[in-house]
Amino acid sequence: MSVELSKQGLVLTTTKLSAGYDGRAIVSDITVEALPGKVVSVVGPNGSGKSTLLKALVGVVRVLEGRVKIAEQDITNLAPEEVAKLGVGYVPQIDDVFPPLSVKENLEIGGYLLNRHEIPDRMDAVLTFFPRLKGMMSRKAGKLSGGERKMLAMGRVLMLSPSVLVLDEPTANLAPMVATQLLEEFVRGFADHGSTVLLVEQRAKAALRISDWTYVLGGGRVVLQGAPKDLEGNPDFVESFLGGGAAARKPHDD
Amino acid sequence: MPSFGFGLITAAVLAIATVGFTMQFAVTNVLNLAYGSVMINSAFVTYWVNRHGTSIWISLFAGVFCGAVVSWCLNKFIYTPFQRRNLVPITVVIVSLGVDLVGTFGLQAIVGGSFVTFNMSQGHEFHIVGMLLSEVQLIIFAICAVVLISIHWLLKYTRMGKAMRATSANPNLARNSGVKTRYIISMTWIISGALCGLAGTVFAMNSGVFEATSAQLYIVLLLAAMFLGGPGEPYGAMLGALTIGLATEISAAYIPADYKQVIAFLVLLGMLAFRPYGLFGSEKTL
Amino acid sequence: MPSSIGFYLTTVLVYGAVDALACLGLNMEFGVAGISNFGFIIFQAAGAYTAAVLSMSPSAATNGGFQQYVLGWNLPFPLPWIGATLVGGLLALPFVFLVGKRLRGDFAAVGLLVSAVLLNLLAKNYIPFLNGSAGISLVPAPLQNFFNPQGLVYQLAYGLFATLLAVLVYFLLRRVTESPYGRSLRAMRDNDIVADSLGKNLRGQRTSILVLGGMIAGLSGAVLVGFISLWAPGAWGYAETIVLFAAIIIGGAGNHKGAVLGALLVPLGFEEITRFLPPFGSPSLVPALEWVAIGLLIILFLWFRPNGVIPEKRRILSSVVGRTPTVAVAKDDDTEEPINIGSVDDFNFEGLLKTSNAVNDGRVILSTQGLTKTFNGVTVVSDVSITIEQGRLTGMIGPNGAGKSTTLAMLAGTLPVSSGKIFYEGNDITNVPSYKRAQMGLVRTFQLASEFKKLTVLENLVCAIPKQSGDSFWGSIRGRRYWGAQDKGNIERAEEILEGFGLSQYADAYAGTLSGGQRRLVEIMRALLAEPTVMLLDEPMAGVHPNLARKIGNHLTKLCERGMTIVMVEHELAIMDEFCDPVIVLAEGKVLARGTMAELRANSEVVEAYLVG
Repeated sequence: MSVELSKQGLVLTTTKLSAGYDGRAIVSDITVEALPGKVVSVVGPNGSGKSTLLKALVGVVRVLEGRVKIAEQDITNLAPEEVAKLGVGYVPQIDDVFPPLSVKENLEIGGYLLNRHEIPDRMDAVLTFFPRLKGMMSRKAGKLSGGERKMLAMGRVLMLSPSVLVLDEPTANLAPMVATQLLEEFVRGFADHGSTVLLVEQRAKAALRISDWTYVLGGGRVVLQGAPKDLEGNPDFVESFLGGGAAARKPHDD
Repeated sequence: MPSFGFGLITAAVLAIATVGFTMQFAVTNVLNLAYGSVMINSAFVTYWVNRHGTSIWISLFAGVFCGAVVSWCLNKFIYTPFQRRNLVPITVVIVSLGVDLVGTFGLQAIVGGSFVTFNMSQGHEFHIVGMLLSEVQLIIFAICAVVLISIHWLLKYTRMGKAMRATSANPNLARNSGVKTRYIISMTWIISGALCGLAGTVFAMNSGVFEATSAQLYIVLLLAAMFLGGPGEPYGAMLGALTIGLATEISAAYIPADYKQVIAFLVLLGMLAFRPYGLFGSEKTL
Repeated sequence: MPSSIGFYLTTVLVYGAVDALACLGLNMEFGVAGISNFGFIIFQAAGAYTAAVLSMSPSAATNGGFQQYVLGWNLPFPLPWIGATLVGGLLALPFVFLVGKRLRGDFAAVGLLVSAVLLNLLAKNYIPFLNGSAGISLVPAPLQNFFNPQGLVYQLAYGLFATLLAVLVYFLLRRVTESPYGRSLRAMRDNDIVADSLGKNLRGQRTSILVLGGMIAGLSGAVLVGFISLWAPGAWGYAETIVLFAAIIIGGAGNHKGAVLGALLVPLGFEEITRFLPPFGSPSLVPALEWVAIGLLIILFLWFRPNGVIPEKRRILSSVVGRTPTVAVAKDDDTEEPINIGSVDDFNFEGLLKTSNAVNDGRVILSTQGLTKTFNGVTVVSDVSITIEQGRLTGMIGPNGAGKSTTLAMLAGTLPVSSGKIFYEGNDITNVPSYKRAQMGLVRTFQLASEFKKLTVLENLVCAIPKQSGDSFWGSIRGRRYWGAQDKGNIERAEEILEGFGLSQYADAYAGTLSGGQRRLVEIMRALLAEPTVMLLDEPMAGVHPNLARKIGNHLTKLCERGMTIVMVEHELAIMDEFCDPVIVLAEGKVLARGTMAELRANSEVVEAYLVG
């Protein structure tokens, strides 16, 4: 994999973060740390607030309490375009491409912050990574299949050479084999080359396989965290998914 | 054949106006029913500059400038604040009707009700493929063609144009990609406002004589052209305008001239009934 | 001079009555039913023209035929006015295609506006129809063969009669809006998709109100033309509708008194103020400034006081006379459990179940065959075939994007299917519209906020109860004597269930002011009151305290034991565990598996693909 694809990662941390819509917190008291070269995953049952957490990090949802920092720089409630400027690449779970724009134009928007001379090279790099996109450069993004869309969504974010990758359920709607490939090759690959990767996943086991550290969310709070090998054996881990738990639950956004 | 000539000019002017209108809708999701009053106000600004001795083609820039500035102000001070309020969507449309009243009749209060005309000559007449067109009409057509091509080039090949299309398709994702959407939206209103100002002036030129309420019903043609192509689709707007422009003029050869706009109405109602997302749009775009 | 003052006052009276009628009609359409009729003026114009051509002699006979128009039947009063009212109503019918469909409100409004311009254009140019732009003049005044229309007494009587008509219409409209039908109209205004899912026939309601508004507008036109004796296209450009909109916005949309006040302030007020202004500037200056003022008023009022001078009032429903309104303020914190929810055994289930449900035979009551949904080439649900047995609480789970909500929406009729079939009680209901399905007992809830914001909590609940005799246009006209007793019973049921869920203190609060979890409960209560045979619940427990969720789950289970069928989409697997059997797993738009939670957990495919990845 090309080295230029991602920059050396930055440390992303949140401290006692609470965030939500209309002043009502969906996630509370979240403290998370993501380090360069590591994959940190956030898992948990639906309704636990995983997506809201990511949206709060990149400025789409309002942070009510607590701080978000990138390498000591406070980015709490910073506008999303400013967060992107700092090298944070965010792939949302849905609405992850620009449907009326072509594949090529989607990638170009991904490279919006780049110098225009840099774009062709970066695009080549991204296309080397996702060769299937090469054959559909002029196709409208809205006409792609689910897997192709996801590839384009990831490609768009890679155009920026992000230092921090924030991915919201990147394998949603992908066939299991494609999902595994995405996680093990691409996501793990980014981290191995030095990026910071923060990942929300519903396929918890798959996420564990590629993660260095995992947080389990329940009812908007962190109920469990640890290294994957420790969590796998932990009965609480399974319980938190299949048992529902006694933690208070709030209006969810997933 | 002569009506084809008229049709082309009408279509050209309508295309400029509709592209501006549809860009505003694409990026703000609001039907700016005050568009006609911005058009006529721009025409009067051109007229005022022209009356003080400047050539019409230079005065034109004043009108374009007026359209750009007024449209930008409209969005910044009226539409955006109202949209933040979270009222029922029809509210903003009613507000735009109010603005249209203030704009059109405020102008009438200032300049009076009489007809005016630009200080210009129509120039020579040319016979082209069986059509009789004046120099001015040819220039108008040329201006429109150049402007449309520029818009096409802007949207398809420039960074800003792509950012505009991205912003109207998915503003959140655009911001996540680093696009300053507030700035892009402002620029969209400035550019579309310039189109509005240009359209207003050439509309007045093409009409010969005009007064404050001359553009009041233009909104119908605009809506017909926009909905034919598809709300929010600039290329649809161009094609819709071409069709409506030609159809209205050509129909004048077969039905009494006073009714030539009926075709536009029928097209609009038909599209709303059967395909409100237009020929170029799809269900999800609404 | 007293007599000229007298004439002036009668003029004010007539214009006031005409404007009041027009505003009452438009307010009914816009303020109550939520129909933005930007073309309202054509209905008044149609009424005026009709009254004119019905009361005049044939065109050839009038003064040597200097004006051309159709009809000319020389009918005596009150036939022309009755004709005008009828034509105004009939004219509404062709426009139902704009408001009946699920067209965006602003698009439909624009369509109506354009129609007004078109019709004005036709009237102006097609001379044989209504004399073109010159309009129709020398319209006879009613009963002018018996009385002198120029006399003060006649004009005073005219004015009083017009006022009487306005008063009658006011009371008629009030009768409609204060009835169960009025509730349904306001519900449609606040959230039409949800109203549809509760069995309200949107197209039917909109048609009725457009016709009613058209009739009132037509009558107002007849009254006006009888007084001023002439009517021309210049009098009814589309801008006149804007004046009326300004009037009801300023007066208070949704409130009949507000409509009347608006009529007096705006159309009447402006006319009278300008009458007394000394002439200044060019002749077009004052009218132009009037328009500017109206435009400014619209903008300023919508910014500072969008509810108008007299806002729509809060309706206090009560089964008991003289209950004090309770409007508690909802707490922000949803984690606190409402303390009053009763135990399962206390709950009055009999009131909620149709007797036909008493047979609990486990037959297949709802099923799909090859259900598919495609959006723009992307297949979201693919070839889903499921069966739902009567009397069971079937769960539907699956990862995000699996197609659960889409499937539910197709079952309820909210979304049309791309292909496949749906069967209910053995009948193919694939093409049955959603409101009919609700009436058949197939009731759904929604995932996102779906309360009727400007209705109180009690109104939200009562609105859902089916087969209300007052919930039709004619039923509402017949008055409280007709539907009052039944309504009282319905209100009682709503109060009971509200108490059962511990939210009585919010009975008269506007539903929009409740917290997220509370609104969720209102949704469930509303679905229960709709007397469902099959309930389709879309994430009903989201945002609800787990203990309360458990209690609700118990209630739902009890309901199933008594014959209810429930299909529930949920994420919380503990709920599935405790209450649902069977559970259907969807993934990537297809059915993955079906069974009890225990069976599914043992199914490695399911576990692999969904549960723990």
